[in-house]
Amino acid sequence: MFKSRVDTTPGRRMPHILVIEDDEITAREIALELAAHGISADRVSDGLQGLQRALEPHYDAITLDLMLPGMDGLKLVKQLRESGVTTPVLMISALGDVDERVRGLRAGGDDYLTKPFAPDEMAARIEVLLRRHRQEQPAQTRLRVADLELDLIARTARRGMRELTLLPTEYRLLEFLMRYPGQVLTRAMIFESVWGLRFDPGTNLIDVHIARLRRKVDIDGEPSLIRTMRGSGYRLG
Amino acid sequence: MANSGKDWSMHWRATTSRLLLGYGLFFVIWGTVLLGLIYWETVRYLQVRADRDLVQQVDAMRSVDRTHLQSMLNDYVVLKGANYNAWGLFDAHGEWVAGDVARLPPTLKIDGGPLRVDTDEVIARDALPTEESLTIIAARLDSGEVLALAHTTGVTAHVSSIIKHALWWGLSFTLVPGLIGGLILNRAPRRRIRQIEAATQLITHGDLHQRLPVSHRGDELDRLAAIVNGMLDQIERLMGEVKGVCDNIAHDLRTPLTRLRSQLYRMQQQMGEEDPHAGLIERCVGDIDEVLSRFRALLRISELEDRRRREGFVAVDLGETLQHVHELYAPLAEDQQQSFELHIEPGLLVQADPDLLFEALGNLVANAIKFTPADGKVVLSATRVGTDLARIEVSDSGPGIPVEQRQAIWQRFYRGEAGRDMPGHGLGLSIVAAIAKLHDFELYIHGDQKGSRIGMDCRLQSAV
Repeated sequence: MFKSRVDTTPGRRMPHILVIEDDEITAREIALELAAHGISADRVSDGLQGLQRALEPHYDAITLDLMLPGMDGLKLVKQLRESGVTTPVLMISALGDVDERVRGLRAGGDDYLTKPFAPDEMAARIEVLLRRHRQEQPAQTRLRVADLELDLIARTARRGMRELTLLPTEYRLLEFLMRYPGQVLTRAMIFESVWGLRFDPGTNLIDVHIARLRRKVDIDGEPSLIRTMRGSGYRLG
Repeated sequence: MANSGKDWSMHWRATTSRLLLGYGLFFVIWGTVLLGLIYWETVRYLQVRADRDLVQQVDAMRSVDRTHLQSMLNDYVVLKGANYNAWGLFDAHGEWVAGDVARLPPTLKIDGGPLRVDTDEVIARDALPTEESLTIIAARLDSGEVLALAHTTGVTAHVSSIIKHALWWGLSFTLVPGLIGGLILNRAPRRRIRQIEAATQLITHGDLHQRLPVSHRGDELDRLAAIVNGMLDQIERLMGEVKGVCDNIAHDLRTPLTRLRSQLYRMQQQMGEEDPHAGLIERCVGDIDEVLSRFRALLRISELEDRRRREGFVAVDLGETLQHVHELYAPLAEDQQQSFELHIEPGLLVQADPDLLFEALGNLVANAIKFTPADGKVVLSATRVGTDLARIEVSDSGPGIPVEQRQAIWQRFYRGEAGRDMPGHGLGLSIVAAIAKLHDFELYIHGDQKGSRIGMDCRLQSAV
């Protein structure tokens, strides 16, 4: 049984999420899945109320349904950003249209998920948002996971003493994995972040890229640093 | 030249032209018959009158004294205004005595009615008139001699020439402006037929939103177009319904399937790796993922087909895009021990949605890699064709696509013979087709048993 390690830093409290969602079942599903990942959630079912609560400073992230009574999600996130709130927002919409997504992200959303979604995909995205938000402050020049090290300025990678020769794509893939160590990353998230694309490339395309990266990164005889998570994706470390 | 010939034959096949020709022919026949009737009646009437004249004249001459007769006859020839007059005197035995009439035709009855005979049968050779026939009458004088009077009235020639003129001018004045008018009138319907043809072509190419043009005239063409448009409305509605049902099924089943998947997933997470059911559940999740990805692809095609805007279009450098596609799929080809080559001509810019173009090319390449055996070869290329086209092509050394399947593989869920045992949902190429259509790129499939070449021709962005 696995739990991704959301918060390993001592002294950091359990992440707290605001779920703005008018559909009872979806809201419960989100809360349940987040709880399984050690994240607590408050739920609001109305847009106006949602905006009021979102303005409170103690939320680490927000999931936002775009079709809401009271005030629609796009307007809500726009007002939120205008008030200077930077809490990461995961937009959830029944509209899968590419334009809809672009509009949502432009309004100030940080990520976009189409209904119906796999809860683990949603949780993985929330976790990435939480971590990214936390990482934003100090600009990092170096990423380190176990004995794997990435120099973001020289764009070089080494495992222990061994210098790794990576193709540009492989480097970008490894960088993405290393930015979110211990975090489950779904194939869709990898495809979106590393290649900036959002279509269904077929399941084994990402697997093939990961396999190539593994051959370069892993040490013979040792378990792979990049773990395959059944049914969902990959995890580094 | 061939084209203009075809144009003309089409012109003459047009309904109006046929009507016009038929009417013209009818008019010519009717006019000829009518004038012929008038001609015949007129000539008969004039002939009868001329014959009566001749009878009266021969009667009058009979009463004239024999000594004055010859000079009277000469006066008669001169004074009578008819075209040609002649007389002849014969003795009691029928022997010629005087006059231009040299012989009496054997059929002529003396003291009988006038007879029409050939001119050379009766007139002396040195006095032959131009007319070929004349009317002759003979009467016995008191002296026992026989007097013959002959004349040609020329009436037939006169009347027939008048009638011929009438026919000629009548037909000219009616037929020539009629034909010209017909041609002019015919132009408008022909233009409309061409418009209808253009609209129909778009419809047969799959644009069911098109309708035939209907003018405000409400004529037969408009009525026909309205009927066809009604039919198209119905077809479009039915097609929409079929697609809608498909989409609805996909859409509605996604939610319960996603729930089912999350429940299985949760079970999977709570289960130890060693649990005997772990593998089974993993396969279930995999299968559901497969179904969901099919539904996603189906909805994606609908979304692409419904999209008609081109707002997201920008200038895309084909070289750069192909490079990225190559980069993304190279490991996949390598995994299958295939060589994957990239040939790009620099400086090819097209107007496109970059993400969609990438998706289309990705699908084409993935398809080629899938159907090419190990040690095979896949080539992705972009070349300039002519002055304003870029050709993006994916060629492979796979089994090729039979000619009869080439149209069908763009359809949803179609899987060629070769693809039956392959994984996949048969929607990848439909997505390509939808994207190509959105961009107005022309798709093609070539090749033989040694491999196929699938590609699209894109209009190059004109250099600014």
